[in-house]
Amino acid sequence: MIWNRLSLVCVLTLLFQQMAFAQQASGDFLRSIGHIYVVVAVILIIFLGIVLFLIYLDRKLTKLENQIKENE
Amino acid sequence: MIRQSWWKILAVVILVYTILAGMLIPLKPGIAEVTPRALQAGTEVELTVTGYNSYYSKAKNELRAWLKLKGDVVLKAARIEVLNDRTMKLHFILPQYLPSDSKDDACSLILDSPIDGAIVLPEGIALTQDSVNLLEGKKLWSVDKMEELNAGPKLTFPYRSVLYESIRNQYFHVPLWFAMIFLFLFSVNFSIRYLRTYDPDADQRTLALNRAGFVFGLLGTVTGAIWAKYTWGAFWSWDVKQNMTAVALLIYSAYFILRGAFQDEEKKARLSAVYNIFAFAALIPLLFVIPRMTDSLHPGNGGNPAFGGEDLDNTMRMVFYPAGIGWTLLGFWVASVAYRVEKLQQRLLDA
Repeated sequence: MIWNRLSLVCVLTLLFQQMAFAQQASGDFLRSIGHIYVVVAVILIIFLGIVLFLIYLDRKLTKLENQIKENE
Repeated sequence: MIRQSWWKILAVVILVYTILAGMLIPLKPGIAEVTPRALQAGTEVELTVTGYNSYYSKAKNELRAWLKLKGDVVLKAARIEVLNDRTMKLHFILPQYLPSDSKDDACSLILDSPIDGAIVLPEGIALTQDSVNLLEGKKLWSVDKMEELNAGPKLTFPYRSVLYESIRNQYFHVPLWFAMIFLFLFSVNFSIRYLRTYDPDADQRTLALNRAGFVFGLLGTVTGAIWAKYTWGAFWSWDVKQNMTAVALLIYSAYFILRGAFQDEEKKARLSAVYNIFAFAALIPLLFVIPRMTDSLHPGNGGNPAFGGEDLDNTMRMVFYPAGIGWTLLGFWVASVAYRVEKLQQRLLDA
């Protein structure tokens, strides 16, 4: 458990370092290569938004399933 | 199974096409930068041109360039020196006088290549002369002619200097609003049906459609804010359309709060149906009327026709219209799942 968490922290720090490095190198990451990453960010947000709504429905369904089990 | 969910398959196919075509079709070659931007008549100048998506070295010997003033008078570049695909140097020998009756004028730069086609940098370069001589200027500038321009690559999206690649957001940000409008439109339809028949099923459909529409509206606002940050300079510029959508979303969020305020199912359904009709009646002027009456950063407002002209060419239409259909179908898919959850919950409550 603790090793899982430690490795997660390591991965995240590495990722942030990479991102910070990319920003230093090019000034602003989202502005690089003709603002293409603005489009990537928009697609990611739409994806995450729909996934969040799915999670909301999923949790609701789990509750209903438990209710049905209790009724039986 | 397939007979029932053909439209879901259609949604997936269209969205895959939208993402692939929307991301892979390149931008038209353009001029990213020209230096210097101010030229003096009667001198020999060297302009450094930085291209975008351009292939200068592929057409080294067939490149042509002109400076163009008002009234279709042009001056051809004396010499073109290609450094690489994205940079070249243009040499112009500017005549003593300009064909203009003032000391300052502005000209555009036009490049032509059989690979990239003709590219215009409009009104980007300032010209100055020490003394005015209109007749002599006209004579000096009428030597060169600009003709037989190349068409360039066909399957491209327009190159716009502030947008660059983010013009592709047209297929992801804008269709979210189409989806939202259609979801809210159908929810009004079911609200009216509820008030006519008092069928609780119509109320559940209204609720599901509003939930999905609200999610799409929120996503449209957030994605719009990101796009705005990199084109208008701020996440929220207090643009009239941004403000009005915020108001519209608040009105719709009140719909969900209103539903939570009633214990009695029938009262809840009846009042929220009436509120929903009023919410839609407010949504239309908020999104489509008020933004057109004042100046807005959004295209298609402040009296302009909706998107068109150079912001939406035929290649973009080929992706944009399917994108609108695809995202709308996805919205109805999400709504139908929300409806089935709602229906199940209701059945358990009744049992």
